[in-house]
Amino acid sequence: MRQPAVRCQEFVELVTDWEEGALDDASRLEFEEHMAICPPCVEYVKQLRLTRAVLRGAAELDRRGPSAPPPAARAALLEEFRRQRGNG
Amino acid sequence: MDGNGTAWDTQPDDEDLRLVNALRVGDEVAFASLIDRHYDAMLRVARLHVATREAAEDVVQETFLGVIKGIDRFEARSSFRTWMFRILVNQAKTRGERERRTQPFSSLEGELDADAPAIGPDRFRSEGRWAGFWCAPPSAEHLPEACVLAAEAGDRLAAAIDALPPAQRTVMTLRDVEGFSAAEVCSLLDLTQGNQRVLLHRARSKARASLEQYLGERVEA
Repeated sequence: MRQPAVRCQEFVELVTDWEEGALDDASRLEFEEHMAICPPCVEYVKQLRLTRAVLRGAAELDRRGPSAPPPAARAALLEEFRRQRGNG
Repeated sequence: MDGNGTAWDTQPDDEDLRLVNALRVGDEVAFASLIDRHYDAMLRVARLHVATREAAEDVVQETFLGVIKGIDRFEARSSFRTWMFRILVNQAKTRGERERRTQPFSSLEGELDADAPAIGPDRFRSEGRWAGFWCAPPSAEHLPEACVLAAEAGDRLAAAIDALPPAQRTVMTLRDVEGFSAAEVCSLLDLTQGNQRVLLHRARSKARASLEQYLGERVEA
Protein backbone atom coordinates (compact mmCIF):
# COMPACT_ATOMS: atom_id res chain seq x y z
CA MET A 1 0.00 0.00 0.00
CA ARG A 2 1.32 3.39 -0.98
CA GLN A 3 1.90 5.72 1.93
CA PRO A 4 0.10 9.04 1.84
CA ALA A 5 2.35 12.11 1.95
CA VAL A 6 0.64 13.31 5.13
CA ARG A 7 0.77 11.14 8.25
CA CYS A 8 -2.16 10.99 10.70
CA GLN A 9 -0.10 12.81 13.31
CA GLU A 10 0.43 15.66 10.83
CA PHE A 11 -3.16 15.49 9.59
CA VAL A 12 -4.61 16.33 13.03
CA GLU A 13 -2.41 19.46 13.18
CA LEU A 14 -3.44 20.63 9.70
CA VAL A 15 -7.16 20.15 10.07
CA THR A 16 -7.97 23.69 11.26
CA ASP A 17 -5.95 25.27 8.46
CA TRP A 18 -7.85 23.02 6.05
CA GLU A 19 -11.25 23.93 7.50
CA GLU A 20 -10.35 27.61 7.43
CA GLY A 21 -9.20 27.45 3.82
CA ALA A 22 -5.65 28.40 4.76
CA LEU A 23 -3.74 25.59 3.04
CA ASP A 24 -2.05 26.23 -0.28
CA ASP A 25 -3.23 24.07 -3.17
CA ALA A 26 -0.47 21.47 -2.91
CA SER A 27 -0.93 21.00 0.84
CA ARG A 28 -4.71 20.91 0.50
CA LEU A 29 -4.43 18.17 -2.11
CA GLU A 30 -2.13 16.11 0.13
CA PHE A 31 -4.47 16.62 3.05
CA GLU A 32 -7.51 15.55 1.05
CA GLU A 33 -5.69 12.53 -0.40
CA HIS A 34 -4.97 11.38 3.13
CA MET A 35 -8.57 11.91 4.16
CA ALA A 36 -9.79 9.90 1.18
CA ILE A 37 -8.00 6.75 2.33
CA CYS A 38 -8.00 7.09 6.15
CA PRO A 39 -11.34 6.41 7.89
CA PRO A 40 -9.95 7.16 11.39
CA CYS A 41 -8.95 10.66 10.27
CA VAL A 42 -12.40 11.16 8.76
CA GLU A 43 -13.76 10.14 12.16
CA TYR A 44 -11.46 12.70 13.75
CA VAL A 45 -12.86 15.47 11.55
CA LYS A 46 -16.39 14.29 12.35
CA GLN A 47 -15.70 14.54 16.06
CA LEU A 48 -14.39 18.08 15.66
CA ARG A 49 -17.62 18.98 13.89
CA LEU A 50 -19.73 17.17 16.46
CA THR A 51 -18.00 19.23 19.14
CA ARG A 52 -19.15 22.42 17.46
CA ALA A 53 -22.66 21.07 16.94
CA VAL A 54 -22.95 20.22 20.65
CA LEU A 55 -21.69 23.69 21.57
CA ARG A 56 -24.13 25.38 19.23
CA GLY A 57 -26.96 23.20 20.52
CA ALA A 58 -26.16 24.06 24.12
CA ALA A 59 -25.96 27.75 23.25
CA GLU A 60 -29.39 27.55 21.57
CA LEU A 61 -30.86 26.00 24.70
CA ASP A 62 -29.31 28.77 26.82
CA ARG A 63 -30.80 31.40 24.57
CA ARG A 64 -34.28 30.04 25.13
CA GLY A 65 -33.95 30.98 28.78
CA PRO A 66 -34.93 34.36 30.17
CA SER A 67 -32.87 37.04 28.52
CA ALA A 68 -32.98 40.67 27.51
CA PRO A 69 -31.35 43.56 29.32
CA PRO A 70 -32.33 44.38 32.88
CA PRO A 71 -35.12 46.97 32.54
CA ALA A 72 -33.35 49.55 34.70
CA ALA A 73 -30.17 49.32 32.62
CA ARG A 74 -32.15 49.58 29.39
CA ALA A 75 -34.08 52.59 30.65
CA ALA A 76 -30.91 54.34 31.79
CA LEU A 77 -29.34 53.87 28.36
CA LEU A 78 -32.39 55.20 26.55
CA GLU A 79 -32.44 58.18 28.90
CA GLU A 80 -28.78 58.88 28.15
CA PHE A 81 -29.38 58.49 24.42
CA ARG A 82 -32.19 61.05 24.61
CA ARG A 83 -30.04 63.41 26.64
CA GLN A 84 -27.07 63.29 24.29
CA ARG A 85 -28.62 62.70 20.89
CA GLY A 86 -32.33 63.41 21.23
CA ASN A 87 -34.11 65.96 19.16
CA GLY A 88 -35.71 67.47 22.21
CA MET B 1 -5.69 46.75 11.40
CA ASP B 2 -2.33 46.29 9.79
CA GLY B 3 -1.98 45.19 6.22
CA ASN B 4 -2.74 41.62 7.06
CA GLY B 5 -6.01 41.53 5.20
CA THR B 6 -8.06 41.01 8.31
CA ALA B 7 -11.05 43.09 7.35
CA TRP B 8 -12.37 41.53 4.17
CA ASP B 9 -15.74 40.46 5.46
CA THR B 10 -16.36 43.04 8.13
CA GLN B 11 -17.27 45.79 5.72
CA PRO B 12 -20.35 47.81 6.66
CA ASP B 13 -23.42 46.91 4.62
CA ASP B 14 -26.43 49.04 3.74
CA GLU B 15 -28.20 48.10 6.92
CA ASP B 16 -25.18 49.23 8.97
CA LEU B 17 -25.19 52.60 7.25
CA ARG B 18 -28.93 53.01 7.82
CA LEU B 19 -28.48 52.16 11.50
CA VAL B 20 -25.56 54.53 11.98
CA ASN B 21 -27.43 57.37 10.34
CA ALA B 22 -30.52 56.64 12.45
CA LEU B 23 -28.41 56.78 15.63
CA ARG B 24 -26.71 59.97 14.54
CA VAL B 25 -30.01 61.75 14.05
CA GLY B 26 -31.27 60.59 17.44
CA ASP B 27 -33.62 57.74 16.46
CA GLU B 28 -34.44 56.23 19.86
CA VAL B 29 -36.28 53.24 18.41
CA ALA B 30 -33.16 52.27 16.47
CA PHE B 31 -31.07 52.52 19.63
CA ALA B 32 -33.56 50.45 21.65
CA SER B 33 -33.57 47.70 19.04
CA LEU B 34 -29.77 47.76 18.97
CA ILE B 35 -29.74 47.11 22.71
CA ASP B 36 -32.31 44.33 22.49
CA ARG B 37 -30.60 42.60 19.59
CA HIS B 38 -27.08 42.50 20.99
CA TYR B 39 -27.36 42.69 24.76
CA ASP B 40 -27.17 38.95 25.51
CA ALA B 41 -24.28 38.23 23.16
CA MET B 42 -22.40 41.24 24.54
CA LEU B 43 -22.96 40.00 28.06
CA ARG B 44 -21.58 36.56 27.15
CA VAL B 45 -18.53 38.03 25.43
CA ALA B 46 -17.85 40.39 28.35
CA ARG B 47 -18.06 37.39 30.70
CA LEU B 48 -15.06 35.88 28.95
CA HIS B 49 -12.94 38.60 30.55
CA VAL B 50 -14.55 39.51 33.86
CA ALA B 51 -15.42 37.49 36.93
CA THR B 52 -19.07 38.25 37.59
CA ARG B 53 -22.29 38.86 35.73
CA GLU B 54 -22.54 42.24 37.45
CA ALA B 55 -19.15 43.28 36.14
CA ALA B 56 -20.15 42.09 32.66
CA GLU B 57 -23.37 44.14 32.85
CA ASP B 58 -21.27 47.20 33.73
CA VAL B 59 -19.04 46.56 30.73
CA VAL B 60 -22.04 46.28 28.40
CA GLN B 61 -23.50 49.46 29.83
CA GLU B 62 -20.21 51.31 29.32
CA THR B 63 -20.06 49.99 25.78
CA PHE B 64 -23.50 51.33 24.87
CA LEU B 65 -22.57 54.65 26.43
CA GLY B 66 -19.44 54.54 24.27
CA VAL B 67 -21.65 53.92 21.22
CA ILE B 68 -23.82 56.94 22.07
CA LYS B 69 -20.76 59.16 22.44
CA GLY B 70 -18.71 57.68 19.64
CA ILE B 71 -21.23 57.11 16.86
CA ASP B 72 -20.05 60.27 15.10
CA ARG B 73 -16.58 58.77 14.96
CA PHE B 74 -17.69 55.53 13.27
CA GLU B 75 -15.77 55.65 10.01
CA ALA B 76 -17.24 52.64 8.25
CA ARG B 77 -13.89 50.87 8.11
CA SER B 78 -15.48 47.78 9.64
CA SER B 79 -19.00 46.51 10.07
CA PHE B 80 -20.97 48.24 12.81
CA ARG B 81 -21.11 45.01 14.85
CA THR B 82 -17.33 44.64 14.70
CA TRP B 83 -16.87 48.26 15.73
CA MET B 84 -19.24 47.93 18.68
CA PHE B 85 -17.79 44.61 19.87
CA ARG B 86 -14.29 46.07 19.65
CA ILE B 87 -15.36 48.72 22.14
CA LEU B 88 -16.85 45.96 24.28
CA VAL B 89 -13.79 43.72 24.19
CA ASN B 90 -11.45 46.60 25.01
CA GLN B 91 -13.60 47.65 27.97
CA ALA B 92 -13.89 44.06 29.17
CA LYS B 93 -10.16 43.39 28.84
CA THR B 94 -9.26 46.52 30.78
CA ARG B 95 -11.69 45.62 33.51
CA GLY B 96 -10.61 41.97 33.53
CA GLU B 97 -6.96 42.89 33.86
CA ARG B 98 -7.85 45.13 36.75
CA GLU B 99 -9.68 42.25 38.36
CA ARG B 100 -6.76 39.95 37.57
CA ARG B 101 -9.14 37.15 36.86
CA THR B 102 -7.67 36.73 33.41
CA GLN B 103 -4.11 36.95 32.28
CA PRO B 104 -3.57 40.10 30.27
CA PHE B 105 -3.67 39.31 26.57
CA SER B 106 -0.01 40.27 26.43
CA SER B 107 0.59 36.70 27.61
CA LEU B 108 -0.61 35.68 24.15
CA GLU B 109 2.92 34.71 23.19
CA GLY B 110 2.79 32.11 25.93
CA GLU B 111 -0.30 30.58 24.37
CA LEU B 112 1.22 30.62 20.90
CA ASP B 113 4.51 29.08 21.94
CA ALA B 114 5.05 25.42 22.64
CA ASP B 115 1.81 23.71 23.49
CA ALA B 116 0.51 20.19 23.68
CA PRO B 117 -0.17 18.63 20.29
CA ALA B 118 -3.77 18.16 19.13
CA ILE B 119 -3.43 14.47 19.98
CA GLY B 120 -0.93 12.90 22.36
CA PRO B 121 1.95 11.11 20.60
CA ASP B 122 1.08 7.83 22.34
CA ARG B 123 -1.95 7.48 20.04
CA PHE B 124 0.31 7.14 16.98
CA ARG B 125 2.79 4.44 16.02
CA SER B 126 6.27 5.55 16.96
CA GLU B 127 8.38 3.19 14.87
CA GLY B 128 8.70 1.62 11.50
CA ARG B 129 7.23 2.43 8.16
CA TRP B 130 3.89 3.49 9.64
CA ALA B 131 5.31 5.78 12.29
CA GLY B 132 2.98 8.75 12.71
CA PHE B 133 -0.15 6.78 11.72
CA TRP B 134 -2.87 5.94 14.24
CA CYS B 135 -2.42 3.07 16.65
CA ALA B 136 -5.33 4.18 18.85
CA PRO B 137 -7.71 5.89 16.42
CA PRO B 138 -10.79 7.84 17.49
CA SER B 139 -13.72 5.50 17.94
CA ALA B 140 -16.60 5.69 15.51
CA GLU B 141 -19.14 5.43 18.33
CA HIS B 142 -21.35 8.47 18.05
CA LEU B 143 -23.99 10.01 20.19
CA PRO B 144 -27.42 9.22 18.85
CA GLU B 145 -28.88 12.29 17.17
CA ALA B 146 -31.25 13.17 20.02
CA CYS B 147 -28.37 13.18 22.46
CA VAL B 148 -26.28 15.63 20.50
CA LEU B 149 -28.10 18.36 22.32
CA ALA B 150 -27.85 16.53 25.62
CA ALA B 151 -27.22 18.98 28.40
CA GLU B 152 -24.61 16.62 29.80
CA ALA B 153 -22.38 16.73 26.74
CA GLY B 154 -22.86 20.49 26.55
CA ASP B 155 -21.88 20.89 30.19
CA ARG B 156 -18.75 18.82 29.70
CA LEU B 157 -17.72 20.95 26.75
CA ALA B 158 -18.50 24.15 28.60
CA ALA B 159 -16.22 23.01 31.41
CA ALA B 160 -13.48 22.09 28.94
CA ILE B 161 -13.71 25.50 27.31
CA ASP B 162 -13.69 27.23 30.68
CA ALA B 163 -10.42 25.48 31.43
CA LEU B 164 -8.71 26.77 28.27
CA PRO B 165 -6.11 29.55 28.46
CA PRO B 166 -7.88 32.92 28.05
CA ALA B 167 -7.03 33.73 24.43
CA GLN B 168 -7.98 30.23 23.24
CA ARG B 169 -11.21 30.34 25.23
CA THR B 170 -12.09 33.74 23.81
CA VAL B 171 -11.34 32.83 20.20
CA MET B 172 -13.24 29.55 20.31
CA THR B 173 -16.26 31.09 22.04
CA LEU B 174 -16.45 33.95 19.56
CA ARG B 175 -16.11 31.62 16.58
CA ASP B 176 -18.04 28.52 17.59
CA VAL B 177 -20.61 29.79 20.08
CA GLU B 178 -21.26 33.38 19.02
CA GLY B 179 -20.75 32.78 15.31
CA PHE B 180 -18.26 35.55 14.55
CA SER B 181 -16.20 35.15 11.37
CA ALA B 182 -12.43 34.71 11.42
CA ALA B 183 -12.03 38.25 10.11
CA GLU B 184 -14.22 39.68 12.85
CA VAL B 185 -12.31 37.83 15.56
CA CYS B 186 -8.99 39.09 14.19
CA SER B 187 -10.34 42.60 14.27
CA LEU B 188 -11.90 42.31 17.75
CA LEU B 189 -8.82 40.86 19.37
CA ASP B 190 -6.08 42.47 17.25
CA LEU B 191 -4.86 39.08 16.06
CA THR B 192 -3.24 38.17 12.78
CA GLN B 193 -5.11 35.53 10.80
CA GLY B 194 -2.31 33.06 11.49
CA ASN B 195 -2.43 33.54 15.26
CA GLN B 196 -6.21 33.40 15.26
CA ARG B 197 -6.02 30.00 13.56
CA VAL B 198 -3.37 28.68 15.96
CA LEU B 199 -5.50 29.65 18.97
CA LEU B 200 -8.64 28.21 17.38
CA HIS B 201 -6.83 24.99 16.48
CA ARG B 202 -5.56 24.43 20.00
CA ALA B 203 -8.91 25.24 21.55
CA ARG B 204 -10.90 23.01 19.18
CA SER B 205 -8.40 20.17 19.57
CA LYS B 206 -8.77 20.22 23.35
CA ALA B 207 -12.54 20.53 23.21
CA ARG B 208 -12.73 17.55 20.85
CA ALA B 209 -10.52 15.53 23.21
CA SER B 210 -12.92 16.17 26.08
CA LEU B 211 -15.88 15.15 23.92
CA GLU B 212 -14.07 11.97 22.88
CA GLN B 213 -13.44 11.17 26.51
CA TYR B 214 -17.10 11.75 27.29
CA LEU B 215 -18.20 9.50 24.41
CA GLY B 216 -15.81 6.82 25.63
CA GLU B 217 -17.31 6.89 29.11
CA ARG B 218 -20.80 6.54 27.67
CA VAL B 219 -19.77 3.48 25.70
CA GLU B 220 -18.19 1.87 28.76
CA ALA B 221 -21.15 2.65 30.99
